Amino acid sequence: MNKAARLWAALAAPGAFWLLFFFAVPFYAVACVAFGTVDPIFRDAIPQWNPLNWSFGEFNAVFSSVTSGPLRGVFVRTIVYVVSAMIISFAIGFPVAYYLARHAGKRRMLLLLLIIAPFWVNYLMRMLAWVNLLSPSGLFSRFVGMFGVQYNWLDGSPITVILGLVYGYIPFLILPLYATLERLDWRLVEAARDLGATSRQAFRVVTVPMAKAGVAAAAILIALPMFGDYYTNDLLSRSPKTEMLGNQIDYYINSSSQPQRGAILVIMLSTLLLVALSWYLRSTSRVGKERVR
Amino acid sequence: MERRDFLKTLFATTGGIIIGPSILAACGGTTTTTSTGLIIGTPDLPVTLPLVGEPIADGLANEGGTIEILNWADYTNPEVIADFEKAFGVTVKQSIYDNEDAAIAKLRNGTLKPDLIIGMTDTALARLMAAELIQPLNHSYIPNKSNLITGLQSPYYDLGAQYTMAQFIYGNGIGYRRDRIDPSEIASQGNDAMWNSAYSGKLGVTDSARDIISLALFQAGITDVNTGDADILAAAQENLIRLRTNTSPKVDVLSYQEIPAGNRDIAYIWSGDILLAPFYLPEGTSADVLGFWYPEETITANDFLCIPKASAKPVAAHQFINYLLDNDVAAKNQSYVGYQPALTNVNAEALINAGAIPETLVDAVIDDAKYQAGKRIVSLTPEVDALWNDVWTTFTAG
Repeated sequence: MNKAARLWAALAAPGAFWLLFFFAVPFYAVACVAFGTVDPIFRDAIPQWNPLNWSFGEFNAVFSSVTSGPLRGVFVRTIVYVVSAMIISFAIGFPVAYYLARHAGKRRMLLLLLIIAPFWVNYLMRMLAWVNLLSPSGLFSRFVGMFGVQYNWLDGSPITVILGLVYGYIPFLILPLYATLERLDWRLVEAARDLGATSRQAFRVVTVPMAKAGVAAAAILIALPMFGDYYTNDLLSRSPKTEMLGNQIDYYINSSSQPQRGAILVIMLSTLLLVALSWYLRSTSRVGKERVR
Repeated sequence: MERRDFLKTLFATTGGIIIGPSILAACGGTTTTTSTGLIIGTPDLPVTLPLVGEPIADGLANEGGTIEILNWADYTNPEVIADFEKAFGVTVKQSIYDNEDAAIAKLRNGTLKPDLIIGMTDTALARLMAAELIQPLNHSYIPNKSNLITGLQSPYYDLGAQYTMAQFIYGNGIGYRRDRIDPSEIASQGNDAMWNSAYSGKLGVTDSARDIISLALFQAGITDVNTGDADILAAAQENLIRLRTNTSPKVDVLSYQEIPAGNRDIAYIWSGDILLAPFYLPEGTSADVLGFWYPEETITANDFLCIPKASAKPVAAHQFINYLLDNDVAAKNQSYVGYQPALTNVNAEALINAGAIPETLVDAVIDDAKYQAGKRIVSLTPEVDALWNDVWTTFTAG
């Protein structure tokens, strides 16, 4: 390592240590709660700090519920909702980011601002506004009713919850996508067109592979909070038909006498997301290597 | 006195039950001498809680300054607070809680140091006592205690009301829209209405595991709402799954808004919620559209006022308790909170005459007889609680 590299490593060390510490310590605390016990009187979690004394009885019960019990449906539903919301988010967000990066010209900053502006309003307030708009007597319901669409959006509808997730998280998809697309070397696309590729071929063979890291980053950025989200469902549905994993974690930690079960679900969810994150890291590192080559 | 000694003394001197980690806390349940148990009174086995510490002396002047109260959100009329401040020369500062267990944890670790706690229930009392968090009351400051209904002047969970003064009272039943569902239809169905697929998509149940599993038990003809029998709970679970399949219920605590707003036709709720509903009716809608059916078998409950041991303003806290139990003040408080004060004179007739509730909600008013006839939820052991949690999770997991 040369002198400059050592200097930068030294400068990065405190931040890296900070991040590692504040990831590792809370995660360890969650594990200690998950594998600990509960005060029989006060029903508080009693973390077991010594891993040698961890108890796995509750973990087995939760795992069994996830694989073959009532929580299996919640897990599957959560994955379906998040994947659906991500697909819709990409379908809406990618063209927006592409337009901003390539064709918005002088209006780019203004459009970016307009996209972000609604999200300066608190998430809860925005969702409560939607509750009002989507209620049977709300403006939106009355508007679509004029076209013959009679649908009770707040009647525990999966569509409402998925669209709520899309609405809530789409800016976090557009911004990293825009940042990636904006930095692409568009001469490569032009070269592909010069060599006879159609615009669709150029997009598929040149643009998409180059944007892969941004796509992965955007996917991870919205998937992480969506998986743990519980308030979107709380506000827009509150029906057992749409119960997500976040709702179960919320119940176990805030309303039940089994907080360790909530912690176990957090660990399971984190493990699932860790797999997704590993894929992202591998994907971005491969793109980096290809660029270096 | 150490907690261990305290519990031994209690066991030797009271008729209550001490519930240990492995013992089911149920009406007529088992007793144990474990030193780590909770003290839980039941209507069948009421408890006289032993005095830990002394009540404040008689005739003291209030401390002035700021009195801090720990309260649920919107659970005391701001006008009542302002009137009290004016009358007693103090300032009231509120901290809000939304979960008894979390509030008790904060009281235990000193995060919260209120002078008065509003709205805790008898299941919390056992924990408040175990952690020695509250002080005995001096009744000479609370002459309005006599306004309470008979059954709560000396409640089973605290005989002699040594530590607590009841405040609001409620029972579970079915709130509904009379303009959409014929009252005779509800009366003829009873609790079965909650399983009627005709109300699918327009039905709600309170987001409370104990209350809704109890509904499933009542519907199956079982009245032990503290059961630890796994087979009975499995039957209740099947019953709830059937309810879910038939009616696609909303599970929340918003029926007091959703029914008057017209978004929901029927819900199994606390009576206090339907008493609150008239305030949420759209302008021009008559309160007569609201109805309430009170089941023969149901749960009744109340909450209470108590003073933390660490209160810095115990005299002012006593005065506030007495103030809240005044008939006129309680009626004014009801006009904002919706829930019914547990006072003899703030009864159905008084509430209707005052225009606080429509005649169609007369069944939602709980009198002494109804209160005493109701079933009571008591704390469960962790093992039994886990069974109840499983039932609830299965229901809410869809």
